[in-house]
Amino acid sequence: MSGSTHGSVMASGVRTVAQARGPALAARRRVQRRWLARFARRYPLGAMAGLAILGLMVLAGLANHLAPYDPLANDFGAMFAAPGARHWFGTDVFGRDVLSRILYGARTALLVGFGASLVGATMGGIVGVAAAYFGGTTDLIIQRLADIMISFPIIILALAIVAILGSGTFNLIAAIALSFVPRIELVVRASALSVRETTYVEAARAIGARHWRIVWRHMVPNVTAPYLVMLTVFLGQAILLEASLSFLGLGVNEPTPAWGLMLSGAAIEFVQRAPWMAVFPGLAITCTVLAFNVLGDSLRDALDPRLRI
Amino acid sequence: MTASVIEAERARLGLNKPIWRQFVDWMGGLPRFDLGTSMWTAAPIAKEIALRFQLSLQLAIMSTLIAVTLALPLGIAAAVRRGTWVDHLVQILSVAGLATPSFWLGILLLLFLLSNFHWLPPLTFTPLWVDPKANLLQLIWPALAVGYRYSAVTTRMTRSAMLEVLQEDYVRTAWAKGVAQRVIVIRHALRNAMLPVVTVIGLEFAFLIGGLVVTEQVFNLNGIGKLFVDAIARRDYTMIQGLLLLVATVYIVVNFLIELLYVWLDPRVSYG
Repeated sequence: MSGSTHGSVMASGVRTVAQARGPALAARRRVQRRWLARFARRYPLGAMAGLAILGLMVLAGLANHLAPYDPLANDFGAMFAAPGARHWFGTDVFGRDVLSRILYGARTALLVGFGASLVGATMGGIVGVAAAYFGGTTDLIIQRLADIMISFPIIILALAIVAILGSGTFNLIAAIALSFVPRIELVVRASALSVRETTYVEAARAIGARHWRIVWRHMVPNVTAPYLVMLTVFLGQAILLEASLSFLGLGVNEPTPAWGLMLSGAAIEFVQRAPWMAVFPGLAITCTVLAFNVLGDSLRDALDPRLRI
Repeated sequence: MTASVIEAERARLGLNKPIWRQFVDWMGGLPRFDLGTSMWTAAPIAKEIALRFQLSLQLAIMSTLIAVTLALPLGIAAAVRRGTWVDHLVQILSVAGLATPSFWLGILLLLFLLSNFHWLPPLTFTPLWVDPKANLLQLIWPALAVGYRYSAVTTRMTRSAMLEVLQEDYVRTAWAKGVAQRVIVIRHALRNAMLPVVTVIGLEFAFLIGGLVVTEQVFNLNGIGKLFVDAIARRDYTMIQGLLLLVATVYIVVNFLIELLYVWLDPRVSYG
């Protein structure tokens, strides 16, 4: 908040700080809304994907109202029930309703997806900007560490971290987030390096601005584009990774409903007898990841077309 | 179990030595390709890995062949016919390929094979030179499941690299002087677009050695990925160490080969 606004508040005496901020906030909202409208016009597919993701979030949020059955309730009278009026997507080996488990599984997928990619992208972003800004030895050390981490396939890295931390939802988020950090760091660093050489950063340094001010006010806002794009792309990746690790039994633990978990074990063993057990959770994963990828592609084209990912 | 038994076991596995000492011992074995012995099976790690490496390498090569034969023509066609239905179709195929988990695709393939041919993945692996037909029949399905995703990544890269090169001045010049389309696309454009494509192919290949943890599980294959998951589940630390070393080595070797390919593809690149 600048000094002059503060002064006017003091002078009028009645307007609060929040009210003084109102018009500026409304203007920013307007700009954001106009940007969204233009995005939707230019990238209809991306906008549709965004809507689909919002829809999925609503479905997951209202899972406890929408799910026809308790996702954990066994019903041994209705084992392997085929999809029909009572169970739209059929039931599994314990007679649990597949549709209900998919709806609750969406919570797990979105929690892990958003949690891991937000944490991973933010950590990667901070490290990337710091590496680019400070340069020299700091940069060198960070880059060599990133090189080491990147030389393992992402799933192996996540597996190794899960092996150290143990399975469970929160350890899974940590493992996926950590394995994202070096990959996002590389991209953000590359963008931040060019920002560092701009005249406005030089000017800020010349007038004696502190490091954190330069980084926070001048560099961070200019790397939000790659940050946002990487965030969306890695959201889909995180959901895929969660499914893979849960499938291996090293992710989310039973009986928590998770899509990858639903595909493991009995779903393969009885794939011919009860194909719905394998088909529907897989479809849920594919559609969700598809939506995030399409949105990520459109965001990249809109925000930072030079970014190659 | 008494404390003395535990102590004896710790001494046998070498866990009673300080960490740095264990690390020095391990490093000392490396030049002799001695990765130690598994904490679970007590067999030499190098031998355990060599057994599985064969399978993983063959699967990786087959998937790469499938991916490249799909991706190059599709990517080129999409770039040359940009904005037409060909382009849209290829884009849809590759976006879908990126979103489909290959282990789920594997399960669907299994379902298809089971219901139509009553085919079940065999329990044991048949090496290529013992019975080529049985071997290929066993590996073609996982290779297809993995190859589809792989081809999606490569198609996208081929398309975007080709689009970039097709806008170059020398391509326009070639069109202007009436060079045949085939020659322009293959000689002028493709060769120059290959650098990023080769990078993607190489990195994906390196990922396939050891990265196929899940697909191997679906098809009952005893490869590097499965060894990895088992080692983690059994807390077989020496095995995990050996496998991580293998995966990182493959990655470095493949990267090195890519760099060599650059020189061959683009004579301007040189490492003096």
